[in-house]
Order: sequence, then structure tokens, then C-alpha cells
Amino acid sequence: MSARIRRSWLVVPMSKPEEIARASRSTADVIVLDLVEFVAEEDKPAARERVEAAIRTAQAGGAEVFAQVDPELLVADLHACVWPGLTGVIVSRLESAQQVADVDGLLAELEAKRGILPGTLEIVAALETARGNHDAYDIARASPRIRALTLGRADLIMDLRAEPSGEIHLMPYLMQRLIAVARALGATGIGAWWQAPARGLLAGPDDTYQAARRGRAIGFTGSPCIDVRQVEPLNRGFTPDVAEAAAAQELMTAYRAAVARGVAVVALGDRLVDRGSVTQAQALLDRAAACAARDREKAEIAARPPLARP
Amino acid sequence: MAAHQVRRSGLTMPVVTRRFVEHAWRRGCDFINLDLEDSVPQHLKANARSLIKAAIPIVRKGGAEAFTRINHDYVHADLEAIVWPGLSKVNYPKAESADEIRLLDAVITRLERERGIRPGTIEIGANIETASGVAAAYDIASASPRVREFGGGSGYDMSRDLGVEMFVGFEQFAYGKGELELVARALGLQVRAAPFVANTTGSVSDADRAFREAQAARTCGFRLGGGLNPAVVEPQNRGFTPTAGDVEDAQWVLERYRELTGTPDTWKVIDGRVIDRYEAARARDTLEWAALCAERDREKAEAVLRTRAAMAEPASPASA
Amino acid sequence: MAILVRRSNLFVPITDSERVKRAWQSDADAVTLDLEDGVVEPRKAEARGLVREGIAMAARGGAEVFVRVNAPLLHADLDASVWPGLRGIVLPRVESAADVTEATNQMTALERLRGLGVGTLELIVLLESARAVWDIRSIVTASPRITQVGLDESDLAGDLGITPVPEHDPYVYARGRLVVEATSARVQPIGITYPLGVHPRRLPPADIHRVATDARNLGMKGVVCPDPSWVAPVNDAFTPSADLVAHNKRVREVFAGALAAGTAAVPLNGRMIDVPVDEWAKVVLAMAEACEARDAQKRAARAGP
Repeated sequence: MSARIRRSWLVVPMSKPEEIARASRSTADVIVLDLVEFVAEEDKPAARERVEAAIRTAQAGGAEVFAQVDPELLVADLHACVWPGLTGVIVSRLESAQQVADVDGLLAELEAKRGILPGTLEIVAALETARGNHDAYDIARASPRIRALTLGRADLIMDLRAEPSGEIHLMPYLMQRLIAVARALGATGIGAWWQAPARGLLAGPDDTYQAARRGRAIGFTGSPCIDVRQVEPLNRGFTPDVAEAAAAQELMTAYRAAVARGVAVVALGDRLVDRGSVTQAQALLDRAAACAARDREKAEIAARPPLARP
Repeated sequence: MAAHQVRRSGLTMPVVTRRFVEHAWRRGCDFINLDLEDSVPQHLKANARSLIKAAIPIVRKGGAEAFTRINHDYVHADLEAIVWPGLSKVNYPKAESADEIRLLDAVITRLERERGIRPGTIEIGANIETASGVAAAYDIASASPRVREFGGGSGYDMSRDLGVEMFVGFEQFAYGKGELELVARALGLQVRAAPFVANTTGSVSDADRAFREAQAARTCGFRLGGGLNPAVVEPQNRGFTPTAGDVEDAQWVLERYRELTGTPDTWKVIDGRVIDRYEAARARDTLEWAALCAERDREKAEAVLRTRAAMAEPASPASA
Repeated sequence: MAILVRRSNLFVPITDSERVKRAWQSDADAVTLDLEDGVVEPRKAEARGLVREGIAMAARGGAEVFVRVNAPLLHADLDASVWPGLRGIVLPRVESAADVTEATNQMTALERLRGLGVGTLELIVLLESARAVWDIRSIVTASPRITQVGLDESDLAGDLGITPVPEHDPYVYARGRLVVEATSARVQPIGITYPLGVHPRRLPPADIHRVATDARNLGMKGVVCPDPSWVAPVNDAFTPSADLVAHNKRVREVFAGALAAGTAAVPLNGRMIDVPVDEWAKVVLAMAEACEARDAQKRAARAGP
């Protein structure tokens, strides 16, 4: 199964409907309609009412659409979000396999009621607490809908603070652990390697780009963000660049020549290159091609005339 | 009660060294850890056991809590010797299984009952000092409600178990430290952790380093200190206590956050600084901790005054 | 319990007859005849035919001889490899205890068939996926034949979907978990400091020595050497030096003196010598003794008929 390219996940609070249109004009791969993190309690009923229409607007720029829901308010949140056009839900602060089972069951019900192909709605598990991270494996395997894990705003929720080095305490550990668990289950890790002074996914464009690059180096494939100015840096940071692609190509050429001579390990400068490095190089070239395809797809969709609004 | 929550500084000392025990109350520590283990040679361990009961009130004269560190291999003999009124905590080295902790809990429970100590008073410090301990961390930390803090994952014994030299200047224990801290947080236990600071000297008496490390730990939200040498006590107390400036800043944050109520925003930025519920929570945490530290310092100062009065010593300005 | 000394394990493609012939000259503690990543697909059948002879050649300098088999060709490769003189098998792409058992069942049968002591062949297990890293405990405890375990960082990169860059080590978690779980199971973790595991290079001996020393201080007990030039600096980094041995003998003397005098701590050259320091001295001296014994074995093999 080839994974979708999802480098940037732009989070838009449903308490601010005016931001949806702006988001749909960005080049975000994914737009996340938020009912949890940035919506005050008293604003939630109105926010939920807006989601169905917001899904259509969000799709206009070619983004996939997810909704961010509260596991403590599942029934209300999922009823508000599950409409044709939705790709999946991010469940905030997941802490147990039981919660996952509840989400899975409700999604199945709503898929049936609302004419969505059964089993297609995805779950992104946001593990933002110590309990959630500790039990990550049991949580992540509780449903085949879980295609991705993320730390979300764990640095804020777990109160993890900047060390003198600039690293956010415990985050490098939690990130690599999350990615290992995700990959062990065939899922992907969503997030970036944020460093101080970035907090809770909020950072300027340069810091965002660097966080994306570092994140990609350890296995993240995309990241949420809060500000629309972070979208392009995330897309760029999670896409293999020209230099990397050229190096990968060079490596593959050298290796193929060696294999043609019957040799399976070849020296490239002082580096010893074997089949494993070639697998990596091919994967990088494949990803670069897939990113380019995604960018073309979004451009085509964005160039279409706007959808008629009811 | 404040005492068990404020443990910024403490000294581990061999109970067999009389002058250490007798002067302990003057050091200004939040706790004293009377050792029966590695600082007491084998042939003196029996004698050491007989000294604990009397040593407990002596080391508490300055308001410090009294802990002991027992031997992994002499649980029954050591517990019989140490569970007395006035003891707050038993530190157990090289914990490797939940069963060991449950055994400690059962014996301590019986002794508390027999000796008129309020049930559940005495805490267990489950010290992880081997790879197997890390592998069993969750089971160990959740084995008894007497375990109230958890963490660590480096040090002499861990280094020996992994076969590594110490003080090599880079992080050697990231996995163990990470797992133990994650377990502590998942179980809601007080976290024993700190940012990594490269150390190539292994000095136990460097006051400047002790202050910097305590300060770095505190700004990361940690509160637990301790050491081997009196030179680090005051720096740790100072490094782990919020300053007046920290308190003022926390109050400012809370005022700015209160201004958000009634508006549709859940956060705002003032002079490049984010004010939201997370910053407000940290600010409240700082104020609570500052208050606990102040109360603890008052308790200790009062205890010192009482002790000096009882000894008919003049009150020295430094201790007022 | 005897300390296993296998500081360096030189991997040579079995189809490179020159390298197989010269392998013993590197002074490696172990030589692994590679049927897997060192051999191109079309030559894998030919490779099997070369193993039996290769074992004797590689063992000339007293090295232990292993064979790395192909996971998808397990049965044919084991059948071609289990001969007298073999010390064990390097088993790649292990994902589960079941993978281990599949190999050990056949190894037992072959030991019986070919007159090797049953249960004597060792296993060195290589983990190459996040699944394997997560399930490491059940893997390393699956058989008493397993004496060492390592990460194949190159294939692990593929599983994690990354192209590793030298500036950011993506394996801190995996490597740390390897060291803790292996040590806990009394299996030796093997590996080298990042990024040489995933980007092996020929480097000056001093550089190899430095990264091997760092690997030792992460808890590693040995290094897979993709090139003969790695072997001498790796052996050296994992062997306590004469100075270190002399120092630790002194520590033990001084501490014994302190105990006799009734104390448990005594200063020596500005450091306190107490129980933990003495315990560490024991570890160093035991390792030095074991290394010397292994080196003596290798010298004897070289001097032999």
C-alpha cells in the first residue's frame, strides 16, 4: 500500500470559521478541523455545526481533511465530523486501547449511516500524555484504522521544558520511541523535531523548516502546525531535496555497476555501499517522485473553479 | 505535609562514621540518607545496623527527613534494624523485580504495625541500577503505593552492569533514563531526572556545577536533589528554589491569563511570549513550589533554633 | 562464568576468494563468511559451494568462524554451512522467537547429522526492523545458542523509511534498547557508534579506535567489521591497556588495605576508592585476563603446524 504524502497538517480551530478559507488557499497536504485544542468549551456546539461545510471548503485547495476530536466527547464530536469528504480523525490525548475501540465502533456506525465506504476512515492516534506514550503499542494496535501516531502537543501537556542544549526534555526519546512503535505496526510517525523556543508546534518559518528536516531524518513523514506560514516550510522540509536525490542516484549507479561485475559491496570514496544503502536510495527517489505528484495534484485541484456553495 | 515534598538536597553517609552522623543536622539538608550499603564495609554492616535507631533522631535535629539505604542482599536484617519512628524512607538498591518491592512492602507494613508507626508512612525508594531493572521498570514502580518517586538510570552500578566507564563526556544512558522517566510520569510519581550535563571529572564536591545542575533541573520542572559531599548542599537548596523574580514572573503570567476569560481566545502573545493554559499551569506550579520551599525552610530554621536552644548554643546569624 | 571475548567480527563475502584467504591475517577474533549482503543474487548458489573450504581457511589464525545466511534461503544456506570447524551462524532479519526456532531446529538436526556436538553452534542475531527492536526481549531469550545481538542499521533505515544523515542519529532509542535488553538477557550487544554502522567507511585507525571506544562506553561488547582495516583498532579499543590494568591492580591493593584497616573508602591520586570503584576494577581486570587468554589462543594458532 503506497502511503499518501502528508507533509503538512494545518490545524484550524472550528471556532474561527474565517480561517478555513485561508487554509484552503494554502498548499497544506492536510487540513485538520479542530474541535478540541483551540476551541473553548462554550464554543464547541457552534464549532461542531460548522464542520460539514468546512470539509468541502477545506478540500477545495486539494488538501485531505481530518478532524481533531476529544475522546471524552466522542459521540458529539464524531457525529459532527463524519461526512463524505473526511479522510479521518485525529484523536487527542489517547490513553487506552478501550478508547480506540470506542472510536473505531462509532466510526463504523457513522460510515454505514452516511454513505462512506466501510473501514476507510482513518485514525491518527495523538499520544500526548505519559500514559498514552507508555501504552503506545497497545493503543496503536487496537484498530487497523490507526495509520499514524503523533505526539501532538505532548511537550505542553506533559510539561516538558527546554534544556540548556535547546532540546525539549525527553522529547528526542519520546519521538524515536513513537516512530519505532509506529513502524513496528506498519504505521507512520507524524511530527517534527522541534527545539526551543518552539512550543506546541508553533514556530517561525525557518525553525519550522529545520524541525521538519531533523524530523524527516529520524522517520517522521509530516507534521501538524498551527500557523499557515508554517505550511510551505513543512512541505519543503519533508520533501527530499535536489542534492539528496542526486546523491541517491549516484549511489544507485555505482551499485548497479558493481553488481554487473558480480560484486555486492562497492567503495564510493571511503564509503562502503551495499544492498541496504541502495534500498534507502531507491526509497528516497520514490518519495521525491510521490511528493512531486502530490504537488501537481494539489495545483490541478486548486486551479479548478470554486465549488458551488449551498 | 510539606516535608515529604521538598527534597532539594540530601547527603548519603555511612552510619558507622560517627562524626558525619553527629554533624549532619548542621548541613542544611532537606534529608539525610543513612547508609548501610556501599559506604559501609562488609565487616562493619552488623554494627551499622545497631546504630541506625539512635542515629535517626540525631540527623533530624536540623529538620531534615531521615532515610536509610539498605543492602540488596540483607533485606530482613536491615529492615528490622531501621524501621523506627522518625524514618521517612527506605532506599533499596539494584531493584530488579516487582516481587522484591512487594516483599519490602510486606515487611515494612508488619514493622510499622509492631512499632506504632502510622501505616503507610515509610516510603520505598526503588533504585534502578542494572539493565534488568530497566527492563522491569514498570512492574517495579507500580508494585507498591510506598513508591512515590522514580527515575535515575545512570551512576556507578549501572555503569558496571553495562560494562562502561563513567564520565566520558556524552550521554551513555539515554534509553534507561528515558524509560524510567516515562514510567514515573505514566504512574503519576515524582520524577527523579535532570537535563544531561556532560561531566568528565566525576567530582562530588564541585559547588558551582552542583548549582548549575540544580538550576537546570528546576527550570525543566524537576525538584529532587542529593549527593555525597556537604559542599553541594547549599548550591542544591539554592538551585532548586524559585527566586523572587521567578515568583513575580509567575504572578504576571497568571494575571495575563485571567484577562483571557470572557474572550473567544484560548491564547495570546505578549511581547513574543505565549500566554495560554499551559503557561498558566506552569506559573501555578512555580508559585506552589515556592510556597512549599519557603515552608520547608521555615521548618528547618525552627528545628535548628530549637536544637541550639536545647544545647544552650548561641543562635548564629547564618541559621536565623 | 567465562567472559566471551569476540571484540572484532570481520565479514568477508564468501565469493571473494582473496579476501577469504587473507581474512586470518587481520587478527580478528571472529570471521563471518557472508552469503547474504556480500554476495549478489545470481551467485548465491555458487556461494554455498564455497563455504566448507572457506571455514578452514578463515580459521587459520585462531578466529572463530561464522556464516551469515540469507533469511529467505535459510534451509539451503544452513545445509551448506554446518560443518566441523564452524562456530556458529549469523542470522539476519530476525523478527520473532519463531524465526530463531526455525533456524535452531535445523541447526540441531545438522549438528547430529554431521558429528558436531548438539547445541554447540552459536547464534549471532541481527535485527533489522522496528518490529524486531520492539520484540527484542522474546527474540534474545528464544534460544541459549544466542550469544550476541546487533542492529543491521542499513536495513533498519529502510524499515523506518529514512535516509540517515550523519548529523542526526535516528537509532538512539533502538540502540539503547538493544544494549539494555541484551545485557539483561546476558547476551552481548554488538555495534559501532553512529554513523559508522549505517555508513561504514574506511577511516584512519585512530578514528576507528575512537568510535570503537565510544561504542564500548555505550555497552557494546564487539563490533562487526566490514573492512580488515577496522580490526586492529577495534581489538585495541575493547582490550584494557597495560596502564589501565596496572592502575586497577593498584586500586584493588589499596582498597584491600583500607578494608584491613577498618574503613571502606580511601584516597588514591585525588579520587576516592570505595566499594563501587573496587568493583569496577574487578571488571576491568577480569576483562583484561580474558582478552589476554584469547590473544594467546590466536598466537598459538598462528605458530601451529
